[in-house]
Amino acid sequence: MDIFLTLFINGLSEGALIFLVSSGLAIILGLMGVVNFAHGALFVWGGYAYVWIYQMTNSFILGILAAMLIVFILGIIFEKFFVSRLYGNAPAQILITLGLNIVFIEIIRLIWGNTPIAIKKPDFISGTTIINGVTISHYRILLIIIGISVLIIVNYILKNSKTGMVIRAGVQRSDMVQALGINIRLYFTIVFAAGAALAGLGGALYAPLAGNVISTAGANNQILAFIAIVIGGLGNFSGTAKASFLLGLMNAFVAWFIPSFAVVTNVLVMAIVLAFKPEGLFSEGRKSILRLAVKK
Amino acid sequence: MASILKVENLNSYIGQYTILQGVDIEVKKGEAIAILGRNGAGKSTLLKTIMGLVNTRSGSILLGEDSLVGIPTYDIANKGIGYVPEDYGVFDYLTIAENLKLAIRNDTKDGDDRIAKVYDIFPDLRKASERMARTLSGGQRQMLSISRALVNDNKIILIDEPSKGLAPVVIETLAVALKEISKESTILLVEQNFSLACAIASRYYIINEGRTVVNGKIEDLIQDTQLQATHLGI
Amino acid sequence: MKSLREHIQRDFSKNVIIALSVLLIALLIFPKFSSYTMLNLLTRIFVISVFAMSYDILRGYMGFINLGHAVYFGGGAYVAGILYNKLGTTIPVFILSIAVVVLYSVICALVMGKLSFKKGTSVFAAAMLTLALAEVVRNIAESWRDVTNGTDGLIFKVPSILSNRIFFYYFSLIFLIVMFIILRKFILSPTGRVIIAIRENEQRAEFLGFRIENYKLIAILVSGVSAGLAGLVFGTFNRFANTELLSITYSTNALLYTLIGGTGTLYGGIVGSIVVNVFQNMLLNLRSIHPIFERWLIFLGILYIAVILFMPKGIVGTLRHFIENRKVKSDNEKSSKTEKAPGE
Repeated sequence: MDIFLTLFINGLSEGALIFLVSSGLAIILGLMGVVNFAHGALFVWGGYAYVWIYQMTNSFILGILAAMLIVFILGIIFEKFFVSRLYGNAPAQILITLGLNIVFIEIIRLIWGNTPIAIKKPDFISGTTIINGVTISHYRILLIIIGISVLIIVNYILKNSKTGMVIRAGVQRSDMVQALGINIRLYFTIVFAAGAALAGLGGALYAPLAGNVISTAGANNQILAFIAIVIGGLGNFSGTAKASFLLGLMNAFVAWFIPSFAVVTNVLVMAIVLAFKPEGLFSEGRKSILRLAVKK
Repeated sequence: MASILKVENLNSYIGQYTILQGVDIEVKKGEAIAILGRNGAGKSTLLKTIMGLVNTRSGSILLGEDSLVGIPTYDIANKGIGYVPEDYGVFDYLTIAENLKLAIRNDTKDGDDRIAKVYDIFPDLRKASERMARTLSGGQRQMLSISRALVNDNKIILIDEPSKGLAPVVIETLAVALKEISKESTILLVEQNFSLACAIASRYYIINEGRTVVNGKIEDLIQDTQLQATHLGI
Repeated sequence: MKSLREHIQRDFSKNVIIALSVLLIALLIFPKFSSYTMLNLLTRIFVISVFAMSYDILRGYMGFINLGHAVYFGGGAYVAGILYNKLGTTIPVFILSIAVVVLYSVICALVMGKLSFKKGTSVFAAAMLTLALAEVVRNIAESWRDVTNGTDGLIFKVPSILSNRIFFYYFSLIFLIVMFIILRKFILSPTGRVIIAIRENEQRAEFLGFRIENYKLIAILVSGVSAGLAGLVFGTFNRFANTELLSITYSTNALLYTLIGGTGTLYGGIVGSIVVNVFQNMLLNLRSIHPIFERWLIFLGILYIAVILFMPKGIVGTLRHFIENRKVKSDNEKSSKTEKAPGE
């Protein structure tokens, strides 16, 4: 029984982390329809920015905020100079973001080198609690709390704010949004950058858990983010969250019971979902939003 | 009376094609003006050019005192123009209420009252206000699109072929509503349906091959079957 | 369809045929004068060109983004390596490996095609599906150590004649020419035309009574088998296969070749393969000059970005556009001159 509880907590925190990685992409890809293959670079930049500031100031909060800010600025640059010219053109988006991914990962290697930099969890959160013989890491609990907070906040903004409406409308008819007196370019830039900042947050929180940052961490996490979004259903933010937690729990249990199967599970689940329910497991009938965006 | 919209010698182009090559139009406050002409004459392009959705090559567009040439579409709209495109341009993945809410501009203070008023004009929309716009019929989409132009205090409303693709019964309802709206708003209407245009507008301009060729009072045009035959093919 | 004919006729005018013949002769005598490094670079370009062309069948002629195209390419390389290791390095094994690669590619293409071309699957969902399938195969290759040697990669020997660099150079040149002719014939065949018609207007093609799904399946079969064979030759050339050959990097490389060269032209893939490989080679050589070129990938990334921003039609597309414009201009000038004549 204890093992189940441990696996459950680990799975939840794993899911929270997957969600933090994928939430930014859920906005950029899911809502704006940009197939962003530079998400991994944004994620890794978050990690390095966190480590850089944390080592300088020894403050967890400052490190996180700096990571988000720096990646937010990267997001503005990405959108304004590159992605903004390619809305609705998926192949070009794939290539240009791949190019950005390569360039910005290499810049990291130029600045910080190619070897992992070790980073400890901050003291106040590095402990564990044992309840009924089950060891619970405080940092994992923090991940779950932050993950759920991000879900609630972003969901609220998307459902209730003008920004959410502008994006949903703009993906379909950006000309008409402008004709209503709204500067849609500005919204797209800000929202893309916000998505990037969430990727930065994911990268920053991932580093202390992994114990180090390395420039290659982006690639796997990027694929994981794509998987979570596809399973959750495009354009469905809370679907991505559900899918993330599902993946996290599944990974924890599969890794324990059938470890040889662990590597393939995620992609296999994505393949099955795409083959039999291409609109995603948790879709609410909004599947065609992206079809619109991609075809335009 | 002061002119609200004044277009002089307007030339505009899409890609390498010049569409408008000399359009002159003046709309005075409170007027309803119909733009007539054959298919492909450049009527819709005129409205798009005013909105900044099509590029101006030369000529001037004045809204009151302000020039609209060379400024972004959203600024043009914010100066007080409502636009109803020919394909309705409703946002499929927003509800009716959200479509209307999004249309309210920042400087419009009485947005909610205006939405209530719009619902009075089109009761169908009130009933369906929480439905996604993609589930609506063509007539309902048109009503929604027109409503979006009514939630702000616009100086002028540009309406592009409201009757296009709609059933005669729906057009009748629409005509009544548009007539009602024209009492309080200034309207520039592009319309193929001659009888609908006559029912709403007081003056007309005819565009042919990108140029304004004739204009005058709509009553005179109704009498002048010769003119109708040459330019409208009626 | 007529315009397609015209394109092809114009592209292959007399001058072009003369130029191609000169190029072919140059390529044939090239090994006499060249270093092994250059020879290897050209061989690589020939093989990669086939891979790029196979991608163009999907992307250029069908508008399909395949992020799992590496599954054929890497699979081809692995099949060759595994068979050589298990059955010996003889020519019959090489021939057997061709048969096995074709079979393997057909199976992969059927699975990929059946799943991706289902009605109602968006371009993006299909792309993710192909990515997922390729990742499954890559993960299998990574964990099936007994056969594939896992992440370390599979080193193998090849029949001695195939390890002769000069022989292999001619072999891959012929391979490229044969594959080019086959794929061209395919595109110009009635089936190929239907595939283009589907790209232009899927609904209309459907109304005309074509079974869209079957035609798409044929296209992915042809494309997959070509890529598989390219992988087989590539593996034999390198005498090495690793899981990177199965990764998304190789799939997106194929996308890059076709986009740089120009999609929907077949020879665009060849041009793209030349540009990227020569550029890569240049950057690698520059490493001894300045340490920044240790990070030569930065420049490859910049190339991606620059091509998309400044040359969205690719090199072939841009050239074609340029030539057409000049033609139109000169035609206009001619006609305006004749118009003016009476007035003057």
